[in-house]
Amino acid sequence: MQRRDFLRLVACATGTAVFGGTLSSRGAKAAATKPQKLNLLYATAEADSEAVKLVLPDFASKLGIKLNLETFPYAALQQKVFAELASSSAFYDIMVVDTPWMPALTNKIEPLSSYLKNPQLNDITDPEIKDFIPAVFYDAAVFNPKKSHLHFPDSNAPVDVAEIEKQGFEIYGLPLQANVLTLAYRKDLFEDPQEQQAFQSKYGKPLSVPETWDDFVPVAEFFTRPDKRLYGTTLMAGSGDWAVDDFKTLVACWGADGHLITDDFKMSFASPEGVAALTFYSDLINKQKVTPPGVTSFSWDDVADTFNSGLTAMAMNYHDMKLNSGVKGEVAYAMVPKKVASGPHFGTWILSVNKFSKNKEWAYRAVAWLTGAEAQTKMLEKQLHPSRASVYKEAAANSSLQKDFANFYDVLGKSLAVGVGRARLSNYFDVSKVIAVAVNNAATGSQKPQAALDAALPQVKEMLKQAGYTVADN
Amino acid sequence: MGWSLVCPAVVILLLMTIAPTIYLLQSSFFSFTLLNPELKRFVGLQNFVQVILDPTIRHGILVTLLFVVLAVGIELIAGLILAVALAPRSLGNTIGSTVLLLPFAVTPVVSALIWRQLLNPNYGWVDYYLQRLGIIGRPIEWLSSAPTAWVAIVGLDVWQWTPFVALILMAGLQGIPKEPQEAAAVDGANAWQTFWHVTLPQLRPFIALAVLLRLVEAFKTFGTVQILTGGGPGRATELINLTLYRIGLQDFQIGAAAALGILFLILLSIIVSQLLQVLGKNTELLE
Repeated sequence: MQRRDFLRLVACATGTAVFGGTLSSRGAKAAATKPQKLNLLYATAEADSEAVKLVLPDFASKLGIKLNLETFPYAALQQKVFAELASSSAFYDIMVVDTPWMPALTNKIEPLSSYLKNPQLNDITDPEIKDFIPAVFYDAAVFNPKKSHLHFPDSNAPVDVAEIEKQGFEIYGLPLQANVLTLAYRKDLFEDPQEQQAFQSKYGKPLSVPETWDDFVPVAEFFTRPDKRLYGTTLMAGSGDWAVDDFKTLVACWGADGHLITDDFKMSFASPEGVAALTFYSDLINKQKVTPPGVTSFSWDDVADTFNSGLTAMAMNYHDMKLNSGVKGEVAYAMVPKKVASGPHFGTWILSVNKFSKNKEWAYRAVAWLTGAEAQTKMLEKQLHPSRASVYKEAAANSSLQKDFANFYDVLGKSLAVGVGRARLSNYFDVSKVIAVAVNNAATGSQKPQAALDAALPQVKEMLKQAGYTVADN
Repeated sequence: MGWSLVCPAVVILLLMTIAPTIYLLQSSFFSFTLLNPELKRFVGLQNFVQVILDPTIRHGILVTLLFVVLAVGIELIAGLILAVALAPRSLGNTIGSTVLLLPFAVTPVVSALIWRQLLNPNYGWVDYYLQRLGIIGRPIEWLSSAPTAWVAIVGLDVWQWTPFVALILMAGLQGIPKEPQEAAAVDGANAWQTFWHVTLPQLRPFIALAVLLRLVEAFKTFGTVQILTGGGPGRATELINLTLYRIGLQDFQIGAAAALGILFLILLSIIVSQLLQVLGKNTELLE
């Protein structure tokens, strides 16, 4: 090779290297650089972190990225999420978000519609968003960026990104753990021939799991035997958000808006239906006396303890129940009874992408994979409450789940489809506390239901006004 | 040289105490939430007016004052009785003093969780043994009515903190000179007269110290009541700290929370300073 040829070769190689480098860096910009690690901020117990831990090895092999999972209990998690977003921190790429937090977070969470529509970003997992249970998806993930208090108009429509955008809404995450109230009951008691005969002779109709609240009362009365330490049911009537969840379920059943406050700020909790629902609730405790002592200080935890220790025949809760080893019996599940309508309270944890993350595209891919059907099906092993219809079909076909949880997943899926979420308020917890106090006062009998709700009404209106919402005085 | 030695401490103090206080004060004059600082607007004294006019906040302050008076008052009396009983040096008293430390050493949140189980009317030990002993006919629903919920929250605080008061007063009793008591006995004073007119005045600095420390802690009570009653039934046990937590750390209304915090701080400063003036008369500790 002559010296001139050598110089040409060097010049050519240099040119290729320079221009090639420029081109490849442009290509890298178009497709974001894959990070070595993504940080996920998650709830320890409430959103079932064990289920996420189970799929971490699969995640690493599928995406080639390590997922660093950090978990906190509920109160600390909320403060952490808000503090991280308020300080525009990029540390956590993905955050789990509870439904009542989102109205205050919509300008800090990355909208995902454009990601869902971009085939290049769905190269690892097809998000299959039509597979999500529509009511769950719209309640947990779809918000109006300009008016975060609004719900999507049709919560039963098949999930469609184009339609969501057309209506002025955005998608702020993908649902993972979906919780809803179901009715657990003692199958052994309901199927006991002696109990069936006794009920038949007392009420003139067969003993069956109540499907309506009207049927619920005689069944609860029938099983209430304080001398034998057995009560018909138990409730979450303590002074907390759980009492509101019980109450809003009944308000929906009685035919008013189960969100308790409508999107145009009508106070459905104080409507005639609301008063009737609270009267029914209070009567279960004070008139029919079908609940165990102490029910007016109970949260969902106490409801589980009470049912699991064999003290009640029926109980509503957000999760499955397990009778204590000393209690001989069997548990099965039914949907929460109806009145003129149905509307068990539900709330869903979604995975959202931090707007300030430096790895948003890969964070989206991770969210799509973690909330995908394959991952959710595997998470069933750790009792995830799935948010996808297809995973409920998988659960129905899984004999091991049937053995361990009876018909829980079947009832869970059906209940989610008709669930009703919370009002979307930036000061939800303040408002919820006022309503919880009203419910608790009616439950303890210290106030009549009408008086309790009348007292709450001006307080709620004032709080909403202080938060900047336009509320009519009458 | 002197300033350079003091400088690190001053910087830390400025960063950790003075700066947040200034931020708190400044925040109280603005309306904003943590996540929307761009919507921050000056509202003058509106946050303070809002807080003062809010009946639930006024109720919370009254509940807090009542809680502090009841809890610290009972702890002082019970602590004094325990201290007098355990002050003489003996093996039994040494063991008793050590046992006293146990409730004081339990994490408040854990003690509240245990109390909640103990007071459960369906399977808690308290109702079970009260019924077994024939003291009550049917279970008491401790956390479902206001009077019994108050017994529960004050009882828990007294159980946990009386040993602390007792230990301070016991140290005082063991440290005060014996001559005045012996002189009183020679003059014919009986045990009660000696205690009331001689021992108790000498204990005053220690009582002031115990009350001061307990007052500060009692006003800060949050976790135990949050777990035990959640402020219920209704709002019967809703301490102001529970309200402050909800406004500041659940709804993140920083302006309103700052105003409430400052007002409560002013109220506390007035109460504590007045109380110390009463307790601190003629005590070297506070002079």
